[in-house]
Amino acid sequence: MKTYILRRVAQSALTLLGVSVLVFVILRVLPGDPARMLLPDGAPESAVAELNRQLGLREPVIVQYGLFLRSVAHGDFGQSFQYRAPALRVVLERLPATVQLTVAAMLVTIAAGVSLGIFTAVRRGTRYDVAGTILAVLGQSLPNFWLGIMLILLFGVALRWLPTSGFAGWTSLVLPAVTLAAFPTALVARLTRSSMLEILNRDFIRTGRAKGLAERSVVLRHALRNAAIPVLTVIGLQIGALLGGAVITESVFAWPGMGKLIVDAIFFRDFPVVQTVLILSATVFVGINLLVDLLYTIIDPRIRYS
Amino acid sequence: MREQHPRPDHIGRRDFLAVSGAALALAGAPSLAAGQAKRSGEIAAGLSERMLTLDPANHYSISTTSVLRHLFDPLIDVTNDSKFVPALAETWRPVNNTTWRFTLRKGVTFHDGTPFNADSVVFTLRRVQSNSKLIKSFVYQDIESVEKDGDYGVIVTSKRPFGSLPAHLTMLGMLPPGAGKNEEAFFQKPIGTGPFRFASWTHGDQIAMTANPTYWKPGIPKVEKVTFRFIPELSTRTAALRAGELQVIDRVTPDLVETLKGTRGVKVLDVPAIEAQRWIFQLGREPVKDPRLRQAISLAIDRGVIIKELLRGYGRPVDSPVPPGLIGHMSLPPKVYDPEKARQILKQAGYSNVSVDIVLMKDFYPKQLEITQAVAAMLGDVGIKLNIKNLEIASAREQRTAGTYDLFFSGWAHMPHDPDWYFGQWFTKAGSEKLTRYTNPKVEQLIAEGRVPDPKVRQAKYEELERIVWDEDAEIWLYYTVAIYGVSDRLRNFEARRDYYVLLSDVSIV
Amino acid sequence: MAAREDAGTRRRWGRRHPTMTIGGVLLGLVVVASLFAPAITSYDPIKPSFSQRLSPPWGLGGTRAHVLGTDNLGRDILARLLYGGRVSLALAVAAVAIAGVVGVVVGLAASWGGGKADAVIMRVADVQLAFPVIMLAIAIVAVVGTSPITLVGVLALSGWVLYARTIRAHVLTIRGLDYIDAAAMLGASDIRIILRHVLPNTVAPILVIGSSQFATMVLLESGLSFLGLGIQAPLPSWGSMLAEGRDYLSNAWWLATAPGLMIALVVLGANLLGDGLRDLLDPTLRNVEG
Repeated sequence: MKTYILRRVAQSALTLLGVSVLVFVILRVLPGDPARMLLPDGAPESAVAELNRQLGLREPVIVQYGLFLRSVAHGDFGQSFQYRAPALRVVLERLPATVQLTVAAMLVTIAAGVSLGIFTAVRRGTRYDVAGTILAVLGQSLPNFWLGIMLILLFGVALRWLPTSGFAGWTSLVLPAVTLAAFPTALVARLTRSSMLEILNRDFIRTGRAKGLAERSVVLRHALRNAAIPVLTVIGLQIGALLGGAVITESVFAWPGMGKLIVDAIFFRDFPVVQTVLILSATVFVGINLLVDLLYTIIDPRIRYS
Repeated sequence: MREQHPRPDHIGRRDFLAVSGAALALAGAPSLAAGQAKRSGEIAAGLSERMLTLDPANHYSISTTSVLRHLFDPLIDVTNDSKFVPALAETWRPVNNTTWRFTLRKGVTFHDGTPFNADSVVFTLRRVQSNSKLIKSFVYQDIESVEKDGDYGVIVTSKRPFGSLPAHLTMLGMLPPGAGKNEEAFFQKPIGTGPFRFASWTHGDQIAMTANPTYWKPGIPKVEKVTFRFIPELSTRTAALRAGELQVIDRVTPDLVETLKGTRGVKVLDVPAIEAQRWIFQLGREPVKDPRLRQAISLAIDRGVIIKELLRGYGRPVDSPVPPGLIGHMSLPPKVYDPEKARQILKQAGYSNVSVDIVLMKDFYPKQLEITQAVAAMLGDVGIKLNIKNLEIASAREQRTAGTYDLFFSGWAHMPHDPDWYFGQWFTKAGSEKLTRYTNPKVEQLIAEGRVPDPKVRQAKYEELERIVWDEDAEIWLYYTVAIYGVSDRLRNFEARRDYYVLLSDVSIV
Repeated sequence: MAAREDAGTRRRWGRRHPTMTIGGVLLGLVVVASLFAPAITSYDPIKPSFSQRLSPPWGLGGTRAHVLGTDNLGRDILARLLYGGRVSLALAVAAVAIAGVVGVVVGLAASWGGGKADAVIMRVADVQLAFPVIMLAIAIVAVVGTSPITLVGVLALSGWVLYARTIRAHVLTIRGLDYIDAAAMLGASDIRIILRHVLPNTVAPILVIGSSQFATMVLLESGLSFLGLGIQAPLPSWGSMLAEGRDYLSNAWWLATAPGLMIALVVLGANLLGDGLRDLLDPTLRNVEG
């Protein structure tokens, strides 16, 4: 068991290193250059060249990467090209908002998604199942921004129950979290449903039923535990999606999170910020998936890696 | 059931009543000095462009200039009809073609109490000229020396004539000399001489400022607190205004005007802006190198329909590359819509089934994609196929630099209310070599001659060069934009500005 | 007599598999409508008509001439939906197919091969997953340029990992089961085991994932269109229609709602079809109904 854990940790570290190299190289391969994004259209070429030099972009890529690794070891992720402030500080400023939104959306996803999945699985074939499936489909297929703006217009403008946008107090978290959770909730619901249906017919469940165990106990204890695997898979993947893919929700709600930060940074070729966000979120992502993998082994002892 | 979260107007009204009540109660007691501010209330504004920095010398964004104007004062201000008026400088005079002399206002202090004087100006100007890492640095490269002339005078000499220097200085806030000691720390809590003091800001999200009680202009500011929130998403920005969370928003599109007008408590203010929307050509490349093709393209575009239908009238026909009110504006023969003539020209020049690429910077200008598609249909009618390439900004600019485009959707807000920068960038060989590849020695000479401080000379030179570029269809000038603002009925004295600035120091709220 | 019996059997089949039938019918309708767009509508989806801008749908203030209203350039929305459907459906189908094939193959290879192959493949997947799809898309499109093929590639790239990981998890579960070991001991080759025992058991999750992914692909296409990386104007696609309708949600909501609902319909159909197929193919589940 211990060797397994160590091995997984080493793998994770390798993954992170791979991510850092890939980010670094991709950014410098992209067309367009940072100085030209920062300077207005009316700036002369000499100013562009000079600014690029000032930003350290004239060195060979290997040199830049070496310098980068060395400063990261000291906790310095460089200066944001856009904001001219330490990239780490710019990113961390966005952390509270991001964490709040991600956690809230995750909670909604797990609570609503798993419940809906169980509900439709248990009531399979009835009109409740159909209604639940349609709800899930809508959640999966309505565009994020459409849902977000409609919610803003309804709850913010027409009813004035909730703030229309911004990061101020828990009321402003409600609409963005619901909007962001819509898609993963639907996905989790559907996957929970199909996993549950599969499990509900396995032999050992029938045995349990035959033995006279209460239906509820059968469902909750045995079925859920076994259906957890694919659901955990999806949840693990969704966290990555939530972190990096909350862009549209953050744009719509003017939510100062990392999703919008990174997309803006990509468009503006703000290399330090992109590098910082990706490495940080990759760390979180890899960490969570490490956890999920370890949970696999606890839940299903049959899974072992040869 | 309506208001479940605290709304600023309740606070404002209470304060206002309290102050008025107190004033009435004190009737007979020595009254407040005439014009002394009875400051009250808070204003929240929503801007479409993110603010990236608090350093006046390190950006070239209209929106950021507008916000920083509240923290810092420049030497010179510009009014809405493009007149230059004193701010921290009381007078400015060209001593000769390459020397400007400024006299400064006395009795002004920075937010920390230190006095404003020539040291500040010298520091600010020298810094922006010498530190090439600053984004605004390139504008001031022509400056040769900045010297004190007593404690309240400054002499600036330049390598070549710099007639537009005062205009540029309207966008540069004055910094205290102490900022140089630790710039990074300074710009986390900046200090200026402006009507508001810095309170807080989150990068790219919002900035809050509180009133400066010792501001040198009497009666200013009129509110206690001002917050600027940056909300690029149009629907969200308008929703916040309609819900009463914001009192003013900028960059409203023509299609939303009716919706806003129909919202209670909200009105719409608009004013023709000093911005021209234009398409530029890659003049070094076939086929748009050919002036006849350019002329045909211009004739095939029905600018009137664009203004009337797509912009719902919120646009003005272009009669000069320089918008009205600015030096250099003139009345040139308008570009007509004549598709028949366009077809004739194409036929005579031997063009059949010609195809050109237009590059757009994604989401850069409002309704740009819509207008481009409309024009594509118009060009299709005369036999020109327009391929639309809507690229992310960095890629689009890369293509422009590399010259792999025929047309490029561009615009120019003539900041700072002066066309010298525009001409210098787009119509000189050096300026346009990585842009339009325009070269015309005669035009270049006129631009150089137009740099002198004498406005009459400048007007004459600009008129002459404009006739040339207008005739050769060097660019397609589509329309002048109209700046549209959504404003709460609770604001008093808000001015819809032609340069897209949102200025709140003399605005009050009820 | 035989004919009547056959017809009866067919009807009962349809009634016994309502989900699949409804799903199939929905999808089929949309596909057919898109294919036969020129027969259904006479409007040109590309040519602007300035005087007709932003007409509401029929019944909500508009005229019968434009049943679903017109967009910001006066173009008929129904026409754009149908012609755009061709593009969006084709892209999504191609992307799901490619992602599925790649994902299943890679997942099988990783879990069956085990050891080094597994480790490397999963590392690559991890590294790719750590990148937001949008960044990968921007990078790829920036270097290669926008084209439908690039778009399909990017979409497929975003989707293969889910297949791979789920297949892998399933395979690792199944692999420990007795009957697999028994088959191996009896001398069955790896490939045979995979094809006869492993693969059929993974069909169910593949179908469910596939039907979910279809929706994801269509929506991802819309996300890429926002960023200017999708189908270039003036060609319609559901994604670009959504993008163009974004700024009009407050005053002309039908621009974005029409493609949004269309996507929802297609997704509903795909999901029902997927569910129905799974029910049909997985024998262990058939008894639940009876």
